[in-house]
Amino acid sequence: MRKLIVGVAALSATALLAACGGGGGGGNEAEPTTGSSAEETTSAAAGGAGEIVIWVDANREPGVIAASEKFEEETGVAVTVVQKEFGDIRSDFLALVPTGEGPDIAVGAHDWLGSFIVNGVISSVDLADKTSEFSDVSLEAFTWEGQLYGLPTAVESVGLIRNTELAPDPVGGTFEEMVASGEATGAQYPFLIKTGPEGDAYTYYAFQTSFGAPVFQQNDDGSYASELGMGEEGGQAFATWLAENGQTGTGLLNTDITLDIAEAEFMAGNSPYIIDGPWNVAKYEDAGLTIAVDPIPAAGPETAAPFVGVQGFYLSAQSQNQLLATDFLVNYMATQEAQTAIYTSDPRPPAMNAVADSLADDPVLTGFLAAAENGAPMPSIPEMNSVWDFWGVTQASIISGAAEAGPAWDKMIADINGAIG
Amino acid sequence: MADIVVDRRRGARRARWLAEVGWKYPLALVVIFLATFPLLYVVSVAVAQNSTLTGSTRLFGSFSTANFVALGETSFWTWCLNTIIIGSATAVGSVLMGAAAAYAFSRFQFRGRRFALTSLLIVQMFPQMLAFVAIYLLLLTIGDVIPALGINSKLALIAVYLGGALGSNTFLMYGFFNTIPKSLDEAAKIDGATHSQIYWGIILRLVTPILAVVGLLSFIGTFGDFILARIILTQESSWTLAVGMYQWVASELNANWGLFTAGSVIASLPILILFFALQKYIVGGLTAGSVKG
Amino acid sequence: MSVTTTRGAEPLPTTSHARNWRPGYAVKLLLMALVNAFGVYTIWAAYLQSSWGIAIGSAVILVVVDWIYFAKRTLPLKYIVPGLLFLLVFQLGSMLYTGYVAFTNYSTGHNTTMDQAVDAIMIQNERRSEDSPSYPLVVVRDEDALGFAILDGETVRVGTAEEALADAPDAVVDGTSIVEVPGWEVVPRTDVLTDQELQEAVLALRVPVSEDAEEGSIRTREGSTGAVYRSSLEYDQDAGTMTDTASGVVYHADQQQGLFVAEDGTALTVGWRVHVGFDNFTRAFTEADYSTAFLRIVLWTFAFAALSVASAFLVGLALAIVFDDTRLRARKLMRTLFVLPYAFPAFLSALLWRGMLNPNPQYGLINDWFFFDAYIRWLSDPFLAKVALLVVNLWLSFPYWFVITTGALQSLPDDVMEAARIDGAGGWRTWRSITLPLLLVSTAPLLIASFAFNFNNFALIFMLTGGGPRFTDTSAALGHTDILISMIYQISGAAGGRSDYGLASALSILVFLVVGTISALAFRQTRKLEEIL
Repeated sequence: MRKLIVGVAALSATALLAACGGGGGGGNEAEPTTGSSAEETTSAAAGGAGEIVIWVDANREPGVIAASEKFEEETGVAVTVVQKEFGDIRSDFLALVPTGEGPDIAVGAHDWLGSFIVNGVISSVDLADKTSEFSDVSLEAFTWEGQLYGLPTAVESVGLIRNTELAPDPVGGTFEEMVASGEATGAQYPFLIKTGPEGDAYTYYAFQTSFGAPVFQQNDDGSYASELGMGEEGGQAFATWLAENGQTGTGLLNTDITLDIAEAEFMAGNSPYIIDGPWNVAKYEDAGLTIAVDPIPAAGPETAAPFVGVQGFYLSAQSQNQLLATDFLVNYMATQEAQTAIYTSDPRPPAMNAVADSLADDPVLTGFLAAAENGAPMPSIPEMNSVWDFWGVTQASIISGAAEAGPAWDKMIADINGAIG
Repeated sequence: MADIVVDRRRGARRARWLAEVGWKYPLALVVIFLATFPLLYVVSVAVAQNSTLTGSTRLFGSFSTANFVALGETSFWTWCLNTIIIGSATAVGSVLMGAAAAYAFSRFQFRGRRFALTSLLIVQMFPQMLAFVAIYLLLLTIGDVIPALGINSKLALIAVYLGGALGSNTFLMYGFFNTIPKSLDEAAKIDGATHSQIYWGIILRLVTPILAVVGLLSFIGTFGDFILARIILTQESSWTLAVGMYQWVASELNANWGLFTAGSVIASLPILILFFALQKYIVGGLTAGSVKG
Repeated sequence: MSVTTTRGAEPLPTTSHARNWRPGYAVKLLLMALVNAFGVYTIWAAYLQSSWGIAIGSAVILVVVDWIYFAKRTLPLKYIVPGLLFLLVFQLGSMLYTGYVAFTNYSTGHNTTMDQAVDAIMIQNERRSEDSPSYPLVVVRDEDALGFAILDGETVRVGTAEEALADAPDAVVDGTSIVEVPGWEVVPRTDVLTDQELQEAVLALRVPVSEDAEEGSIRTREGSTGAVYRSSLEYDQDAGTMTDTASGVVYHADQQQGLFVAEDGTALTVGWRVHVGFDNFTRAFTEADYSTAFLRIVLWTFAFAALSVASAFLVGLALAIVFDDTRLRARKLMRTLFVLPYAFPAFLSALLWRGMLNPNPQYGLINDWFFFDAYIRWLSDPFLAKVALLVVNLWLSFPYWFVITTGALQSLPDDVMEAARIDGAGGWRTWRSITLPLLLVSTAPLLIASFAFNFNNFALIFMLTGGGPRFTDTSAALGHTDILISMIYQISGAAGGRSDYGLASALSILVFLVVGTISALAFRQTRKLEEIL
C-alpha cells in the first residue's frame, strides 16, 4: 500500500507540474485581451510590433547586445537576441523565414547569399552614405547583381602563420622558398596544412589559384560566372602538384594531418609554418607561441589568392518590422562603436575601415588583412554549393595517392558540372 | 598423507574456482580496458594544457585544471541543472506512461490489441530527420495558446520527449510484465482488488527492475540528445548540456575541445552515479519480491 | 491509432467505483479535476486566440479522456491514453508534415509561398538610382493619405503615392530635420517605429518624383531618410504576370512549376512551392544520379543494421551471463565500468574514434596500440571503413544490451527456473529451452526497435565516416558507408548542397514503409514465440 501511495503521488506530481506550468503561465504573463487578434509574440520568432529578433552566434552575441541596448534605449523597441550555432543559422533561416517565424536579422557568412537570393528570404540593405566606410571586398561579397544584401562586419582569410621562435623572418613569395626555409629550421614538419581524409579545398585554395585555376571564371567586375574555372590547364597543373607533394611524392601534403593534428603539432613547436585563419590565433597565443602572419606563398606562377570570407548581418525579406530592423542595422550596427564592440567580442579582421585603422598596431591582424588583400571573395553563387561535395574529397584522394591526378581531376570537373546541371 | 589429500583437495577446489569464477576477473579487466581506453583519451584531453581532441597519441602529456576552472565562466552549471530537470522529468514520465501501457497490453484482451502494439513500435521508426520544421511549427502554434508549452520551454521539450516515450519503453516493459504470472492478479481479483489496486499494489512492485532500467535508459537518452533539444531550446540559459557542449566543438575550424572534454567528464558522472545507485534494482530486483510469498 | 473499439475484459463483476470511496478514487477524482481544468483553460485560451484547430482538438480530446476515465468499458484505454496523447500530438504531427512536403516541390528556389516569392522578386528588382542622394525624410499624413516630406537641399518637398513631389515652401526646418509641414501632420518617428501597421504602410509607400514614371519614386528603408528607387519589374496580381519595364518581356505565373516563366522559357530567380503529386516518388526511383548507388546503399543499410544489433546483443548478453554470478566480488564496480561507453555523449565518442582510427600510427591510437604501428587505412578503405563502423557501433551499444539482458536475466521467474532444475534439466538445456525463450520474449521487440534505430542511425555515420570513402563510379556525392538516412540527409541539402526537401521527404516515407514492413513481419514472428510459452 505504501508503494501505491508513492506511485500515485509521483503521478499526480507530474500532472500537477504539467497543469501548473500551463495554467500559471497563462494566468500571469499571457492573459490575452478579449477579442484582440494581435499575435502573441514568441521569444524565438519575428516579433510583433515594437520588437525585433536577431539570431547571432555565441561569439558575437555580446557585441550585438551592446549595440541593441542603445537602440532599445533610444527607440523603446525591444530587441530579442537569440543565440544559435553559426552553422545552423543558414538552414534554419531558409526553413523558418517562409513560415513567418524566422528572425528579423541574422548573422551569416557571405557565401550563403546565393541560396538566400534564389530562395527569396533576404531583403536588400541600403547603407547609403555609409557605403564608403566599409572595405571594398566586404561590400563586393555581399553584393548580388549590383545590389547590397547585408551589413558586413568581418573579413577573413587564411594566411601563413609563422612561429617567430623557429622562423624569425618572413619568407619569400614562393612555396619552394618556404619549404626550404622550413627544412632549414630542422623542425619535424617544414610546414603544416590541415588536410584530413576528406581534404580541405578551402584552406588549399590559395595554392590552387597560384596555378591560375579559380573555382569559377570571373567576370570583369570580379563577380563569378557560373562556368568552372579550374577545368583547364591550371587545374591540371594544380592536381599534378598535389600528387607530387602528396604521400607518394615529397610527403609535404598528407591526408593524415587533420585539423587537430595540425594544431597540436604547431603548438608543440614542431613546425615553423601553418596555413590557418585568424580564428585560431588566440589558441596559439594561449599556447605560448609568438606568431606573425604573412601572405601565402605561391606554388604556381601566379599570386596565391586565398578565399576571403566575409561575415555580416542579413535582413529577412519577411520581417514584419523591416523598418525597425533596417533602422537598427543601418543606424546602430553600421557605426564604429558597434563594429568595435563586435570586434571585441569576436576578434576577426573588421570590415569597417575606421575600426581596422584603429587596430593598425596589431601586427597579427594587419598580417591577416594583408593576406586577405591578395584574395578573392568566396563565390556566393548557388552553383558553389555543388562544388564543395566533390572538391576536397578529390584533392584528398590525389594527395593520398588513391587516385591518379589527371583522371581524378577530370572526373571531379565532370561530376561538378553534372551536379550544377 | 593426510596433508597431501588436503593439498589435492585444495588444489582441486582452486582449479574449480579458476574454471568457474576465477577466469572472470582477467576477462573483466580486458572488458574494462576496452570499454574505457578511449575515454582515458578524453580525460587526458580534459586535463591537458593545450587541448586538441586527437592531435596526439601521447596521453597525459601535461596536467592542468584550467579547463575545469574555465567551465565556471560558462553557463555549464546552468545547463547541468536544466539537463537534470529535463532528464528526471522525462524519465519519470516515461516510466509511468510506459508501465501503464504495458500493463494494459499485457493484462487486458481487447480488439485491435495486437495491431495497436505493433503500430506503437512502428510509428517510432519514422525517420525524424526532416521533422525539425514540423516540430518547430507545432510548438509555435501550441505556444500561442499555452505559452508555457511554446518554443524555448523546458516543459515543451519534455512533452516532445514523452511523445516518443511510448514505443520501445512499452515493449521493454510489456515483455517483463508477461513474465509475471497472471495467476497473481487472478488471485487478487478474487480477493476483491480493483484493477488499479492490482496495478499499483502488485504489478508495479514486481517489475521494479524494469522500471529502473527504463528510467535509466530514458534519462541517458535525454542526456545525449541534442537534435530535438537544439531545435526547441533557443536561449542559451535554457540549453541542456548536450546542446551547450556541442556548440563548443561544432565549428570545423575552431573547436574548444578542452572545455568540451572537461564538461563531458563531469557530465558522465551523474549517469554513472545513477547506474551505480539503481543497480540493486536492475540486478537482483526480484529476490525479495512477493513471488515467493 | 487503432484502439477504436475496446471491450472491458473483466471476467468478474467488480464493484462500482462510485460506491467505493477509497483513497485511490479520491486521487483519481482530483487528477481528473486537474486535467479538466487544464483542458478547459486550453480551450478558452485557444478560443481567445482564435486558434480553432487547437480549440476543437482539445475539446475533442477532453471529452474523450473524460469518457475513458469515467466509463466502465474502457479499461485498457485508461492505461494507454496518457502516453498515446503525447504520441498523437508530437510524433504524428511531424509524420503528417513530412507527408505533406513529399507532395510538393519544396527545394532550393521553391522555398516559399507565391506571395513571398513575389515580394522577393520585387525586392531584388527594385534598385536605388545610382545618382540619387539620400534625403532627410519625415512621414506625413492628412485625413486620408500617407506621404513623405523630404529635404532636398534647402527646399522641402511633399508627395503621396498618387501625387508626385511638390515644393512645400512654408515648411519649418531645423538643421536637417523637417519640423512642420503646413497642411500635413508630421508623424513622430516613435509612432512609425511602434505602430506595426503604419510601419508596413510606410515601407510600402512609393512617392513618384515627378509625373514621369521613368524618373522613379522616393522610398524609405528606415523611416528617416529617403532615396530615389526604380523598379525594373511590374507585378499585375490579377493577371498573375510580371512585366519587365525595360524590355517588355512578360513572365506568367506557372502554377505547375511554381515559377514566373516567359515565352522563351526563361524564368525569374525566385519560385514558390506547389503541389507536384507523385513526382517525388517517381523521381526517387528514376533519378539517374542515385539509381547506380541506390541498391548498394540499401544492401549496406540492411547489413549495417542487422550486424550492429546482432553483435551488440550477443556481446551484451554474453557479458551479462558471465558477470551475473553471485560468487564474483566487486560486481557492482565492474558493471558500472562496463557501462562507461554509454555514459558519454555518443557524438563525442564517434568523433573520438574518428581521431583514433587515423591510419598513421603516429597519430592514430588504434594502429599504434593494437596493430603494431602498421599503416592501416581504417576509414578510407571501403571494406575496412565498414568494419570500423561496426566495431565502433558495437563499442557504443554493447552496454545497452548488457544492462537490458542483465535486467532480463534477473527478472526471470525463479520458480520456473527452480522447477526446471528439480526436473533435472542440465545447465545448457535449461538455458536453451527455458532461459533463452523467456529472454527473447522480453527482448525481441527491443531487438526490432534497435534494428530500426540502427537502420536510421544517422549520427554515427555522419560523425565517423561522413559516408565515405566515396563511390568512384557514380557522380552522386555518396559513399560506401552511406545508409539510406544519410543519403536522404545529403538530398535534403542540410549539408549545404542543393536542397530538395520534397524528394527527401518522399524518400523518408519510402524508408519508413520499408523498415516498418520488415519490423511488422519480424514482430509477427515474435508472436509465435510468445504463443509457444
